[in-house]
Amino acid sequence: MEQILRIFFNNGSFITFAGLQLLCVYLIINFNSKQGEIAAETWSVRAGSVKSVVGTFQDYLDLREENEIQQAEIANLRSQLENALYDTKAGVDSIDDQRYQQRFRLLATNVVNRSPFKPTNTCVIDRGTAFGVQPGQGVVGEHGLVGIVDLPTANYARVISILNRAARISAGLRNDAFGTLLWEGKDPRRMTLTDIPDFMTVVVGDTVFTTGYSNVFPTGVVIGTVESSAEQPGTGSQDLVVRLINEPLHARNAFVVQDLLKEEITSLNNNRR
Amino acid sequence: MRGVDLVSNAIRFAILLFLQVFIFRQISLGWGGAEYIFVFVSPLFVALLPLRTPRPLVVFIAFLFGLSVDLFYETLGVHAAAATFAGYARQFVLAILEPRDGYKVKASPDGKDLSQGWWFRYLGALAIAYTLFYFSMEAFSPVFWWQIVVKTVFTAPISWLLCLIVVAFLRPRL
Repeated sequence: MEQILRIFFNNGSFITFAGLQLLCVYLIINFNSKQGEIAAETWSVRAGSVKSVVGTFQDYLDLREENEIQQAEIANLRSQLENALYDTKAGVDSIDDQRYQQRFRLLATNVVNRSPFKPTNTCVIDRGTAFGVQPGQGVVGEHGLVGIVDLPTANYARVISILNRAARISAGLRNDAFGTLLWEGKDPRRMTLTDIPDFMTVVVGDTVFTTGYSNVFPTGVVIGTVESSAEQPGTGSQDLVVRLINEPLHARNAFVVQDLLKEEITSLNNNRR
Repeated sequence: MRGVDLVSNAIRFAILLFLQVFIFRQISLGWGGAEYIFVFVSPLFVALLPLRTPRPLVVFIAFLFGLSVDLFYETLGVHAAAATFAGYARQFVLAILEPRDGYKVKASPDGKDLSQGWWFRYLGALAIAYTLFYFSMEAFSPVFWWQIVVKTVFTAPISWLLCLIVVAFLRPRL
């Protein structure tokens, strides 16, 4: 209170001045037509700008609600886009595997999901049991191999990549030597072909094919080329380092190889056993 | 020590009001359909208030004088605003123009106790403050700033001159 009084005494002339000026402005506006009109005009202009500012602020407060409405609408529209739909149109092609008189059917798919790089790589394709995808069917790319179907669902299937330490693939050379192709788990560009007899002459640059003996892949699909060979002492075999011709982890399009005669061959194997 | 008591200030109030509203109100010169030259003696009344008057009281008395002028000019509030501003500006003019040894107690602001040059500057500053604020309030919008400046430039020196003449008549020296 004392401070307020002190402020008043120190600035008494200013307070008197300000109060009287307000009174004067009031008198000027109300008793002089010209100044009154100017004041009214100014007031209307300023009031308009104040109203627009208030409107902008209220729009800002409604932003959250507007955002929800927009997001619901976006979700609605995007659910109608092509990439939100499951494509039921099957792209089917077939090749004749004349050597063994088998017929494979290839089903076009897209890779829709990939695991991060690790020793057990997998990926997911967008075709499932609705198209006849079953566990154990091979998956090839435009060039080379991609993997083997592991776990199909109605519309999707999980694929064990050939770059998976659990994968074993029957592969061979042009001179009918064959062995097992496996991955060491480190270099995604190279695989190892084991169990090639050491008396077989292997030249660097030879092409490595699938053999088709395991009924997973058709015979004669190119896998890669021989980069080097190393005899395994005491086993009578040699290991070949195979340089892959494709990048299985980066495949976007793939084809599921469906062996139409698989049950017949499986029954033969069972009888033999 | 004449002119500092209440009675002489009241008499001065009446005389200057009479001069302003009955004689100098008739003067309005100009050309081209616009008037640029007016005469205001209101700054003189503000200037002649005793130096020791409390500052809020200066503002209030100036306001009363301006309001009285307004009643005759039929521009209620315009002169009052200008006179209030001149009354408020007076303390700053006094502070700026203060002599080296300060003001004497009960000094009259006209040139008796202080130099003639001090009086000229003091009255001139108040006249400029008064006219500038008067024309600003008359135009009531910064859009007319050129008219405000022109009218102030023409009116302030003439009002200042008339004030000097009037004070010479009212308070003859020697």
